[in-house]
Amino acid sequence: MNEKLESRLRAALRPVAPRDEFTRDLIARVAADRRSSFDARSAHGRRPRARGWWLSAGMAASLLVAAGIQHRLQERHERERGLEARREVIEALRVTSQKLNLVYEVIKNQSSSPADDKPGV
Amino acid sequence: MTGGEALAYPVRFAGDTLTLNEAAPGFSDEQLGKARAGEAAALASLIQAHQRSVYSLALRMLGTRDLAEDLTQDVFMQLSSNLKSIESNTHLKFWLRKVTSHRAIDQLRRRARIETMPLDEEITPSSTVDHGDPLLQRHLRLLLLNLSPPARAVLLLRYQEDLDPIDIAKTLDMPINTVKSHLKRSLEILRQETPNPAPVRCEGKST
Repeated sequence: MNEKLESRLRAALRPVAPRDEFTRDLIARVAADRRSSFDARSAHGRRPRARGWWLSAGMAASLLVAAGIQHRLQERHERERGLEARREVIEALRVTSQKLNLVYEVIKNQSSSPADDKPGV
Repeated sequence: MTGGEALAYPVRFAGDTLTLNEAAPGFSDEQLGKARAGEAAALASLIQAHQRSVYSLALRMLGTRDLAEDLTQDVFMQLSSNLKSIESNTHLKFWLRKVTSHRAIDQLRRRARIETMPLDEEITPSSTVDHGDPLLQRHLRLLLLNLSPPARAVLLLRYQEDLDPIDIAKTLDMPINTVKSHLKRSLEILRQETPNPAPVRCEGKST
């Protein structure tokens, strides 16, 4: 009895196909949905916000690097100017020292010459 | 495969071992991969291979063609968004049955009563083989609509989808004993409400 009812149920509940137009519409809708989700995902990859963030970060980094380079160049320039000034001072001292030596020699020669001018004394 | 047969092969996903029927013929795991990658032809094959099962479940759960078509569309749209999580064709069949049954039960619970049509549109058999008395089959389908939504889903998964009680329990997230008691009670109701067709007698007039 049970088996008979079960076989009747199986016959009554055979899967049925939907209308052809419905299948066509369904395929079109699902395909369109997949396409739009793919597009959305691609657009998500190129988010303007993310691009803006990277742009700002890049600009900030460039400014920092430029400021650092400028600071280094200025430092080097000032050091070179200091060295140049030092060289000039040393040169001036050297020249002054030479002049003083000359003066010293002249004075020394002048002070020793009167004795030499009186022969036979 | 008949309902009482052993199941085809075990499959593991989501930490659970399932033994389900063979995957839908005409649709391979390779095609599933292509559908996941967004290939339109593979996606169309997927829908064509599985729509009959989804639509029939929806139709017999909800009782009208319009509601069944809406539900079938919703299920395939949901599948489209979840296609990445589908691991195999067997998983796909399990997922489709589960989502269709749960959505139909929820829909029936939300509406106290859905005005049902006599299901005339479904008398379009998939083959020309004689499957018995069409009036009796229509009567059985109408009786099915009087069962509670979970009992209806259990009966459909058993006799339309050929699942055994273990797989029905997994599909509907229901204890196995509840599935068995639904089956027993529903068959009893159907037996009481189904008339036994009287044997046809050929009476010839003899002179």
